[in-house]
Amino acid sequence: MTTGNGNGDNKGGERFTGHGAEWTDANLSQKDAQVATVWVEQIVNKRSMLTNKDRVEDVRDAMWELEKDGEIVVHRINDQHQPAMVKTLYGWDKKIPTNQLWHHKSCGQCGNIPGYPASLLWLMNKMDIRYLDETDQTSCTAWNYHGSGIGNIESLAAVFLRNFHQAYVSAKAQGLPEGYYYPLVHCGTSFGNYKEVRGYLLHSAKLRDRVKTILGKLGRLVDGKLLIPEEIVHYSEWVHVMRDRIKEHQVIDCSNIRATVHPACHVYKMVPEDAIYDDDILEGNRLAVTTGVLETLGTQVIDYSTWYDCCGFGFRHIISEREFTRSFAIDRKLRVAQEEARADMMIGHDTGCITTLDKNQWIGAAVGKPVELPVLADCQFAALVCGAHPYKIVQSHWHASPTEHLFDKLGIDWQAKKKEFEEYLKDVEAGRGESLYDPRLMITSGPGYKAVEHKGD
Amino acid sequence: MSHSSTSRIQEYIGDPVSDTPPVAREQLEEIFQDIQADLRFDHELNGCLNCGICTATCPAAHYYDFSPREIVQLLWTENLEGIYDAMQEKIWSCAQCYTCAARCPFGNSPGGLVMLMRETAIKHGMESAKSVLRPFSRVMLKLISTGNQLSPDMINPEGFADWGPNVSKVDAPLTTLRKAIPMPTLHTTKTAWEVNLKTSVELYTIWEETGVLDSLETIDENLFDVILDIMDEKRDDYEDWMDEQDDD
Repeated sequence: MTTGNGNGDNKGGERFTGHGAEWTDANLSQKDAQVATVWVEQIVNKRSMLTNKDRVEDVRDAMWELEKDGEIVVHRINDQHQPAMVKTLYGWDKKIPTNQLWHHKSCGQCGNIPGYPASLLWLMNKMDIRYLDETDQTSCTAWNYHGSGIGNIESLAAVFLRNFHQAYVSAKAQGLPEGYYYPLVHCGTSFGNYKEVRGYLLHSAKLRDRVKTILGKLGRLVDGKLLIPEEIVHYSEWVHVMRDRIKEHQVIDCSNIRATVHPACHVYKMVPEDAIYDDDILEGNRLAVTTGVLETLGTQVIDYSTWYDCCGFGFRHIISEREFTRSFAIDRKLRVAQEEARADMMIGHDTGCITTLDKNQWIGAAVGKPVELPVLADCQFAALVCGAHPYKIVQSHWHASPTEHLFDKLGIDWQAKKKEFEEYLKDVEAGRGESLYDPRLMITSGPGYKAVEHKGD
Repeated sequence: MSHSSTSRIQEYIGDPVSDTPPVAREQLEEIFQDIQADLRFDHELNGCLNCGICTATCPAAHYYDFSPREIVQLLWTENLEGIYDAMQEKIWSCAQCYTCAARCPFGNSPGGLVMLMRETAIKHGMESAKSVLRPFSRVMLKLISTGNQLSPDMINPEGFADWGPNVSKVDAPLTTLRKAIPMPTLHTTKTAWEVNLKTSVELYTIWEETGVLDSLETIDENLFDVILDIMDEKRDDYEDWMDEQDDD
């Protein structure tokens, strides 16, 4: 019978169990036990855990082969998109377009965190980036798929190719050539899903054939071929490569802010070889996006022991297994960030994570686990310190977490700003609301479309 | 139907020492063949040494009787009864984070395999799938009929009481708050953004051509009927618009 607790401290009722009769307690002191297991902390959760695979291939090789064989057309990122180069998990190059971008919106962001895309567009306006936000886009449908199982590889692939084809042809509505705008994916799940689906499309002739028939019916082929994007690009990657330019617009000092980052599973665990790493950002052990911009803006990014954990969103769980979602969010992320990292905020880069971490705080008090941690997306925080209005642009009133605590710490008079916004609502009701772009551009075909000539260089 | 004196295994698979008839072998084989027939199967299952790194890092394993290692083992060893049993409840625990896939030294994707099992559970009209997906029907209705998965009118204090009183910190009608977003595509309440009619019609074609509507009919006939009505109406609207263009 075993009586120890594994730390050499034989307090009754606190022993490890379930090891069988042959198990004996090492009776290590707490310090020695920590030394004995420290290797776990050093190795687990680090980049090396993701690079231990024997068989890793770059699907873009297959893509170029298929293009050479005349099977597909590749939507290329070229000089007009002013690309920046970054390194991914294995040191491969990835091209990130920085201009002429087609916003592939996120249903969760637009539905309940609208300051997320609005902040991104506001940053783009600051830097004179050309973009298009239009109505001819569907959800990626992957939230529903991962939550319910309704859908399949063909439907996911067809939706992916339809949306990306629309991005390719969208500029024609402004009298501009095909390929002018390059898709920028806002949602982490769309990003992960599209990358996974692209891999299957490139590997399976059968899938390509099936989907080609459907895309043909929709008139969504280019020269009779499927259109595949050269890169699938997440908005956080754009923020990452633009971080030095964003800093040029910074007007609020944030060096007193302790930041924790929640990286999104579908951004860096799905098709992990395509995620960006940088040896200068947390020694290359953590995903570079978001941490990079926060460091550039001057916050103190604090690493924490559950950095690698998911948020608890679970797709279906946030709707119908809420106990799981809120328990995981509070116990494994929020309280750790608050108590271990003593964080002033948690910053993420994905729809489901921001929703989960932001909304599931209040309920903690009911079970004696109160948490109060402001939660925002990286582009919202970047816009905020560049002077964006916390309500008109960052739309922080849609956040349930105490963003006001963060505003106080940044020296933003949020009460005054809130009053301004409430006054502004009268203008909105009178039809004098402001827009980040010319609203006539948002319909590119079908009912409501009117041709608008492109103005610019 | 649950019975207090029988275990889940007895209920769904059959008890070898009782008179309860087991699930027919042919049915178990058909289910496994459907899982295996997906083009992703061979990519997502490459071998398993039972190292358990997937389960060690799995968020669902913290809270449920669920182990991604077990899922991989059941499929790898072609344990048909075990696969069937896992499809009754366990597969619905997975949070789909793919931490298991990122970690597995063999390059397996237990999360991806779970999706193939969920799709198959739906195809076979399993009761587990029907009951698990019942609370998800509003999302499915929204997505399939509009092309958006979430809309502002779905997020309200009544529906999400546990999110607390601060889901909106400015007291104003939802329509006004939506119009105060400086992106005109977002001035909507029933969809996350304004979806072009032509876009919705294209999406319906995708649902039809890929068999998604068949899955939906298997799992929830009422929902299927409602969606069909909405789709027909939108198609009619689009055709009317096309006719108007021809007239012009």
